[in-house]
Amino acid sequence: MKKLAPTKVLLIISGLILILISCTPESCFEETEPFVKASLYLQATGRLLAPDSLTVYGVGMVKDTLYKKAAGVTIANLPLNAGTHECSYVVKINGITDTVTFRYNTYPYLVSKECGFTFYHDLFPDSLVYTRHKIDTIYIRKNVITTLNEENIRIFY
Amino acid sequence: MRRTSVYFISLLVVTICGFRQIKAQDTLLIPLKIKVGLEVSGPATYYIEKKNLSTEGYIAVDLNEKTTALLGAGYLNYKYSQYNYDYQSSGIFLKAGVEFNLLKPEKAMGKYWGGLGLHYGVSMFNSEVPSFYKDNYWGTINSSIPGNTYWGHFIEATPGVRAELFKNFSIGWTISIRMLLYSSAGKAVRPIYFPGFGNGSKTISTGLSYFIAWNIPYKKITVITKKEEPAEEPDDPSKPATTQKSIISQ
Repeated sequence: MKKLAPTKVLLIISGLILILISCTPESCFEETEPFVKASLYLQATGRLLAPDSLTVYGVGMVKDTLYKKAAGVTIANLPLNAGTHECSYVVKINGITDTVTFRYNTYPYLVSKECGFTFYHDLFPDSLVYTRHKIDTIYIRKNVITTLNEENIRIFY
Repeated sequence: MRRTSVYFISLLVVTICGFRQIKAQDTLLIPLKIKVGLEVSGPATYYIEKKNLSTEGYIAVDLNEKTTALLGAGYLNYKYSQYNYDYQSSGIFLKAGVEFNLLKPEKAMGKYWGGLGLHYGVSMFNSEVPSFYKDNYWGTINSSIPGNTYWGHFIEATPGVRAELFKNFSIGWTISIRMLLYSSAGKAVRPIYFPGFGNGSKTISTGLSYFIAWNIPYKKITVITKKEEPAEEPDDPSKPATTQKSIISQ
């Protein structure tokens, strides 16, 4: 009897099997933490500009600061509290303190089989509450808070 | 009179053959079969690991020596734990489609299959996340997603091979490349794994299946294969010479 299939076909099929086996990842390589991505703009010029000093921590979490007198920060990443519908941050720009409060809806989101679940948030429209000691204006650019690298709010100071 | 009749009949036969241009030809008798198959790697894995049970079977009918119609069904009971969640799903699926044997009839002989299957699948399943947790700056949140019944629709391409190992008993394997068309679970909490499709957290899933099948011949067809003949000098040089060609008659 003649050969069942040409050698080349068998080689290609075997190769496909090997690729399939070798491409079965079980490790998590994706971003799993959703942040409010806050861009810092200088009100006088309207341009993206890092303040000389930035300190940020959650209200009631003074011992656990996200940014401590940091320089060169143009985009601050602020995680929201998935256990509540509201959380506040103390934002100290160039030594002057303001408070920013976010109100939002939270829902679970599957990142991937390997990375598991995280929480996404929808900021309620016109829900930002903030003091205006150093901050002039804050407005929402994109209200869905995800793991994607997208600007969510702009802070003008 | 008798001699005249013989000459007349001989002349008639020669004339008819001359008009019909019949040339030397090979014929093959190919059996068409009804195939009942069972996927074996799922039950084998369950027997070893005692964790996830995946079963799949099919019934297929040869429409001709190249094309087979297939109807498949299966059941899945799946549990999975990752570092921050537990997941479970169970349900059934149905799929239907056609399979094309790409081997030539003289190589396949009704016993060997090397080709491609194209299927449409529908899955109905219960999906649940009994527990998961998430750590972030504000602390640890424990949560769960209660069980619910969902539907999934997908298409599948299955290249593979099968060979008749014993009389009317064949084995084989296929690679499955599936594309999710629709899941009623939505986009936020997609099913991590569901029957017939596999990893539902991605749009494309792949898999490897090993089948055993019982083949029941139900009909035989004759496949006529014309072997390549020396090209005749064409009267018109623009006309191409005759090459290999298959004609099927039942």
